Amino acid sequence: MTVLTVALRYLRARPLPTVLTIVSVALGVTLAVATLTLARGVRQGFLEGTTDYNLVVGAKASPTQLVLNVVFRMDTATPNISYWTFRHLADDPRVDIAIPVAMGDAFQGFRYVATTSEYFAAQPWRRRTFALAAGRFARDDPAEQPTFEALVGADAARATGLRLGDRFYEGEEMAEFPLTVVGILQPTGSSDDRTIFMSLGSFWATNEVARKMQVKPLTAVLVRAKRMSDLPALHRALNVSAETQAVFPSAVLLEIFNLLRVAEDVLAMILAVVGIVVLVYLLVSMYGATLARTREIATMRALGASRATIVTMVLIEAGLIALAGGVLGILGGHAVAYAGARALALRGAIVAHPLAIGWLQPVVLATVVGLGALAGLLPAVLAYRTEVGEHLAPTS
Amino acid sequence: MLALLAGLAHADDAQHLTFAQLVDAMRANNEITNAMRSLSGKEVEIQGFIIPAGPPDLSFFLLSRVSALGNYCCEVPTGQDETVYVATARGVTITYDPLRVYKVRGVFEAGKHVDATYGVSMYRLRNAKVEVATGAKIFRVGETPAR
Repeated sequence: MTVLTVALRYLRARPLPTVLTIVSVALGVTLAVATLTLARGVRQGFLEGTTDYNLVVGAKASPTQLVLNVVFRMDTATPNISYWTFRHLADDPRVDIAIPVAMGDAFQGFRYVATTSEYFAAQPWRRRTFALAAGRFARDDPAEQPTFEALVGADAARATGLRLGDRFYEGEEMAEFPLTVVGILQPTGSSDDRTIFMSLGSFWATNEVARKMQVKPLTAVLVRAKRMSDLPALHRALNVSAETQAVFPSAVLLEIFNLLRVAEDVLAMILAVVGIVVLVYLLVSMYGATLARTREIATMRALGASRATIVTMVLIEAGLIALAGGVLGILGGHAVAYAGARALALRGAIVAHPLAIGWLQPVVLATVVGLGALAGLLPAVLAYRTEVGEHLAPTS
Repeated sequence: MLALLAGLAHADDAQHLTFAQLVDAMRANNEITNAMRSLSGKEVEIQGFIIPAGPPDLSFFLLSRVSALGNYCCEVPTGQDETVYVATARGVTITYDPLRVYKVRGVFEAGKHVDATYGVSMYRLRNAKVEVATGAKIFRVGETPAR
């Protein structure tokens, strides 16, 4: 019979304390894994979902609001800018591409975004390409001849059940102008998956105020410069203007990451406290178990087990509990992270890869088993010092 | 230990460049002086403000003499001659602050280069490492900056 078999039999012989200790370790690990996975996933979601355009140009407002709304389809839209802002940028020799964007209301929570077909065009500098799962892209119809065609993002199509040819609207003001689904996009891993696109012409036609305007409104213009070194001058010119602001989307995200880092530091402190509590609980549990079986240990010693064997056995017991708790905790942590990612997605946030396997799992497992063995050290020393004669003496 | 000391000595060998030197090295026809070109392929350190014109992981950014914050109230934005295109080594761990000066060290390249993603550039730093520039000289009363 090996030391491992003895340790396993002992743990099986006291199921309730063993299970409770495993559960407490698993809960601690679940909390740590879920927190780390969600925090990393939110950051990664922003990184993967961000735009490849250098500047977002919009009305004077909060830069964070502009980027969150236009790039990530979160928050409320900033005030409108004139269509002329787009025309000036499109004609600027320093600008490679300028894409007009108008943010609309929503259908079942999925934002309408009006833009041109150039938004979906493949470019050498784009990390993402837009591919159709079904149908075709919406036409760039003129404002006076709107077609009310809709191109639906992958998540929006799945969640709303919209299919090719469906006509839909939400709210009384849209009843007069139902949109027709002409295309469904393949997933892109960005906020475009949760968007319903239409042409600018159709958007202006559905909007009572825009219909009457000579110069049509936009929410923003996405700008890509020919030379990156021209960006500071473009940035300045658009910011000193009384009507517009230009924002580097990455600058806004880096500010958001700075705030996230503060929250992550706080969470790390909380997780450290949780880790200590779990460690102490494991130590107390193992210590109590060792105290309760000093007579058994003395018997094993009397039957020929060395002190080293006894120490190894206690350490293996602690390690096995930690291993079981660690594995369950990692599974539980990813389950919680997955559920959290789904819940956050409903609120517009993208959490990337909540079930991803990487360095986190082996590191967490090795740390938990290592700390578990460490918690078993004191009980192991107690077992090591158990005197045979003292504990096998007849009790009166 | 000797290897470590040799490494430290090597780290200090990096040529320190200023934006003024970059401007001086560029001629009217966008040609760059041979002296500046001779630094290509060597490790160089430049201090400046980060303009996050690339992705938010800062794997690429512009290093400029002037901060991009606000409306450039005090300085007009820089152009091609005062902008360094920086591609960083993996794992930039700085906390981005548009108002801080950063010390960027990497393999220097001078001369016109066209990149499919970032377009035309004149000065580049590759495999760069970024850290906050600290230890700026404070002149006490009575002291004057050396010219």
